[in-house]
Amino acid sequence: MRAIADINADRSSGIELVPVERDPQSNADRYATLCEDIFRTSSARHVVGCVTSWSRKETIPVLEKAGGMLWYACPYEGFEANEHVVYMHACPNQHLVPLMAHVVPRFGANGFLLGSNYIWGWEMNRVARDLIADAGGKVLGERYLRIGETDVSRLIAEIRATRPNFILNNLIGTSSYAFLAAYRDLAAEDAAFSPENCPVISCNLTEGELPAIGESGKGHLSVGPYFAPRPAAFASSFEASAYASVQVMADVLSRKPDAGPAEFSKAFAGQRFSTRLGPIGIDAHSQHATLPVIIGRIADGFFEVVSREDEVAPDPYLSRYDPAKTFGRPRLRVVS
Amino acid sequence: MSKVPRIPNLGGAKTFVLHRPHPTVQAITRQLSAIGLETVGCWPELPAEVLAADFVFFDADLGFDEQFPWKPGEAPMPLVALIGSEAPGRIEWALSHQADAQLLKPVGNAGVYSALLIARQSFEARKLQASEISSLRLRVAERQTIVRAVEALSKGAGDGRAYAQLRSLAMSWQISVEEAARRIVAMTEEEGGDDQSHRA
Repeated sequence: MRAIADINADRSSGIELVPVERDPQSNADRYATLCEDIFRTSSARHVVGCVTSWSRKETIPVLEKAGGMLWYACPYEGFEANEHVVYMHACPNQHLVPLMAHVVPRFGANGFLLGSNYIWGWEMNRVARDLIADAGGKVLGERYLRIGETDVSRLIAEIRATRPNFILNNLIGTSSYAFLAAYRDLAAEDAAFSPENCPVISCNLTEGELPAIGESGKGHLSVGPYFAPRPAAFASSFEASAYASVQVMADVLSRKPDAGPAEFSKAFAGQRFSTRLGPIGIDAHSQHATLPVIIGRIADGFFEVVSREDEVAPDPYLSRYDPAKTFGRPRLRVVS
Repeated sequence: MSKVPRIPNLGGAKTFVLHRPHPTVQAITRQLSAIGLETVGCWPELPAEVLAADFVFFDADLGFDEQFPWKPGEAPMPLVALIGSEAPGRIEWALSHQADAQLLKPVGNAGVYSALLIARQSFEARKLQASEISSLRLRVAERQTIVRAVEALSKGAGDGRAYAQLRSLAMSWQISVEEAARRIVAMTEEEGGDDQSHRA
């Protein structure tokens, strides 16, 4: 909304954007119906929204029917390239692969994989299994909790028993908070599980969740295209990416006000957009953004930047993934 | 089964799309490029370079045998049939080319990725099965050779012991029982000047 207000206030933008709001209240079944409602009751054809992959996949048939466009500003698990969606946040080669490349040489290659029981956790952990194998490590456990589950005692017991080098956390919401709190208690009993020895790593954890996580997040790692400096322009990478979405959308619409999905794809070709995420390109074929990849460590209510790589081109299908480049030369393996 | 890499590495793979210029070709090309493959559209003929392709998509509606530089069913790469009309004759023709996967026309925003993975897996499985069948056929063809080798080795000691001896010879020579039988028959023939055919 801030981006829309800024663009409308900027006389040089040459266009005025009119927002139409609907709130599905995180109920996956309401995304498609509300999106349909927007297309039926207004002339709006661009939707900035959806957080989970589940809601995005629910919305796609409606976008295809109405010729609409979704600007998706959250990280996702990759392996999708719909021409009615512009993927403005990171895909696996911009989150999981660089995060693992950072963690493996520093902590070790043996991981424990956690996820909430839906597509994000399943697909992220599937890619992680392959990455761990390529790095010469072992998956010491892979466990899923239903969305909203907060009983994490068994996970903690299994982690204590298997002693991994890191934990990939694809739990969401309250499950994630409950896990981090219990893991902090475990670290207090056994320093092998402190963030310096066995960090919890995430690809979707932002500043927005730090208040709910509190002290127990400290020292653990996350990755994203933006971490809020202090004082911050945006509260999180989701917000920064949504803002950048509106900027790119306005840029194209100001030149071609009636642009549909096909024209947008053409407008992306060879073009760079100046946005609040920095200058970004959008791949005309996959409609995924070229983004910075920043690894952050949780400090007191913010993320310290641990590493930063600018303008990483998207590879949503990991077609260009090269184990040797990611993890160095192949390690020797036992051949049976 | 050979081990398939789990992150399917399709980057840089070359795909030929045998279809007349049409929005379908654009839709397929867009999806292939998004996945990271290189695409060549062609119609009505496949150029010579197709033999080095990783995948071929072909039109099942207007396609015909002479377009392919191989016999039906003998494509050296995975094939994906593009099916518009579901006329039984056309499906039969696509089947004669042993398409490994299919994609229904009109092609929209999705479908190519799963078609690639399914085509590749079923092509690999078919190739493996064909090589297993041909090696089994060769072995079956050697039945009579084995009988003759056992005969030559038995010399009154009984078939059971002769067969055990044949197996142990095969093991020590590190070759198949059939191959060992052929050697023994050849040696016997050299000794006895027997030139009968030993193939069934």
